[in-house]
Amino acid sequence: MKLTRRSVLGSALASTALAAIPTGILPHLAQAQTGGGGHSVLNALIAQYAAAAAEGMKNASVAALYDRDAFTDYLEVYPVADLVDGFDWKPGMGATFTGPYSKLEIKAPFTDYIPLPEGPVLDPAKTYKIGFVFHGFNHPWLIALADTAAWEAARHPNIEIEVVDAEFDDNKMGQIIDTWVTRQFDGIVLWPSREAPMGPPVDRAIDAGIPVVSVDRRTSSQKISSEVLGNFYANGLQQGLYLKHSGQTGKIILNRKDLGSTADSIRTGAFLQVIGQEEGFEIAGNYHTNSQRSLAFQSTVDALQAIRDVAVSFNTGGEEAMGALDAIREGNRLDSAPDGKRIAILANDDAKEVLHEVEQGNIAMVSPYTPLIGDIGIRTVLLHIGAKEGLNAAPPRLVLTPNLPMITREKMTIEGVETMTPAEWPYAYGPAVA
Amino acid sequence: MSIATTPRHRGPAIIPQLIGNPLLWLLVLILALGLMTSPVFLSGNNIANVLRNAAVVGLLATGFSVVLLTGRIDLSIASVMVFSVIAGVLLTTEAGRYLGYRWIVRGNTFAGPEALAIGLCLASGALLGLLNGLGSVGLKITSFIFTLITMTALRGVSYLITNGAPVYYSEGLMRWLGEAVFFGLPVGFILFLAMAVLLHLTLSGTVFGRRLMAIGGNEKAARYSGINTGLIVIAAFVISGFCAALAGVLFTARLMSVEPALAQGYELIAITIAVIGGISLAGGTGSIPNVLLSAVTFSAGLNLLAIWGIATWYQNLAIGIALIATVILTRVLNKAKPS
Repeated sequence: MKLTRRSVLGSALASTALAAIPTGILPHLAQAQTGGGGHSVLNALIAQYAAAAAEGMKNASVAALYDRDAFTDYLEVYPVADLVDGFDWKPGMGATFTGPYSKLEIKAPFTDYIPLPEGPVLDPAKTYKIGFVFHGFNHPWLIALADTAAWEAARHPNIEIEVVDAEFDDNKMGQIIDTWVTRQFDGIVLWPSREAPMGPPVDRAIDAGIPVVSVDRRTSSQKISSEVLGNFYANGLQQGLYLKHSGQTGKIILNRKDLGSTADSIRTGAFLQVIGQEEGFEIAGNYHTNSQRSLAFQSTVDALQAIRDVAVSFNTGGEEAMGALDAIREGNRLDSAPDGKRIAILANDDAKEVLHEVEQGNIAMVSPYTPLIGDIGIRTVLLHIGAKEGLNAAPPRLVLTPNLPMITREKMTIEGVETMTPAEWPYAYGPAVA
Repeated sequence: MSIATTPRHRGPAIIPQLIGNPLLWLLVLILALGLMTSPVFLSGNNIANVLRNAAVVGLLATGFSVVLLTGRIDLSIASVMVFSVIAGVLLTTEAGRYLGYRWIVRGNTFAGPEALAIGLCLASGALLGLLNGLGSVGLKITSFIFTLITMTALRGVSYLITNGAPVYYSEGLMRWLGEAVFFGLPVGFILFLAMAVLLHLTLSGTVFGRRLMAIGGNEKAARYSGINTGLIVIAAFVISGFCAALAGVLFTARLMSVEPALAQGYELIAITIAVIGGISLAGGTGSIPNVLLSAVTFSAGLNLLAIWGIATWYQNLAIGIALIATVILTRVLNKAKPS
């Protein structure tokens, strides 16, 4: 084992994390979590594999990439904790409605988390103006995110929401926030693409007395009111757990998001933490396809040309997984893994088309990462406004969303986590697939 | 041949020129609409925001216009803008390491002398401009192709040397550049104004400027009349690179960080501003004050649309309409002019 300052620090942090978790939920003692609750079970597994990775990795190929891209730097500071007010999420929870933008039927899983009753909120005599800025009215995941934010705002007649697409231009997002500061909005919710550039605009809004909440991804702001964070860590971890459980080994090609983005660093890092403990894997291709299906298609085509015996296609998102599947299908290579096995396509993001492919047996598994969390952002920022006006207590700085169980074609129990089947999963987003 | 529209003795001619400038009327219209429809549009804060944004895109467009005036194009400006800032920071960090200092500290934050990093950034921008100039003049590769190559290559190199990770600035000179305001004008805009005035005086009042315009008007004729066209074209690319680097400094000062993925597609904004500002894509015609006016009008227009809560895709549509209107108006005005 290579003993470095980072590995010593990592071991110490992981030991602390493990010590903080009651022994009753440590994985080797854990009961299978029927129905996919299992937030704490997955947290315990995260702590276990983080500790093991800090000790060192058995797989040299995986370790080389893990060290080169400095995943530890991101993983060590990514919060893994309990839910607000001991919330216990169960499959089936949440409200059903038609998305204001997508016009599709949506079942949002977390509408009971940090709840606010329908009707006027805070001071009913006042109208509150909330800005919601994100990137990508051209991406199903992001449209669904905006859908839930707009739905929550519409439940409260004294809330006006302005939803703006910054079109993946960080500077434009900064300008939009600056404009809202000038217009004296009451609260701002944002979905930042990258962490670093959004810190200063958020700080300027906070300095102007406007509460700001980020959803899904983080910003570099130290002053931000709250961060609503999803289950990135559990996503990558479960992709690794599935692969380990399946027994499929060999060459892996990775279709990753932007280097430095939270989604890439945490998901890919967590995946590597698990498979890094196993012999028999080789990172044969590593591409950044920036959430684009077409780029994932192209990189997979390239990889299939160069590598005859690809065994696994790891994808940090649903779009990437669909691009990879299209390429593999077009090349008639679905069953071209060693020993005539099917290439294991590992996906994130529970889009309906991805679930359809899981059902068909073309995608091996998907770790759901629901975009249906915009409503939590709106409720959180409203509570911050209420706290500012002395109407309620402020919500916590970190609002973690529940870890969701992976979806597999057949029901399985993997290291204490019971998977769900596509038919059991009501929260898929995006257009339906016949 | 159509050479510089700016006359030598300008004094009293400036007023009628301004009155006859459709861009100025458009800006007045935007300001009037803003005043009538929003209580915040003409607030000090908002004006500062508009001018800060105008400074970044305006500097890009100004440098770009100088190249355009020679009848060439510089597609690499947005890549140069980001790369030169990264280069400035990394070169300074390397210099620190050589001297025994550690200037990239916890959290990938740059803690070295910011003035040195800015100086190296501007020098990098100028050098990259020199590279573009040498490529298109020395190697005789069309500027469109050569700068397309540098545009793509610089993005790639930016990822390679940073490994895709952002570099943060600590509080200091960069924060000041991003936020300080004098007499209602942000520092960034003052720098843009100074650069625009300097370039305008150079182009309209020096031999170099007139030769540069002559190259855009008819390069062959310029060469036959003894002008060293290659040297002047290279100088135009150096100016463009320098302006892009300065824009990069102001851009990252606002975000207090730099990373390779920033400012993608900003070359198109620069083209839009230059064309709306009356710079001919064929070269030889146009003036820098008009580009300045165009940058301010562009930023004020987008800001007003944002204040009205108009979705960004309608804003893009508005830019497209403005471009078409400009092209049509320019044609009509050119036809109306006595030959």
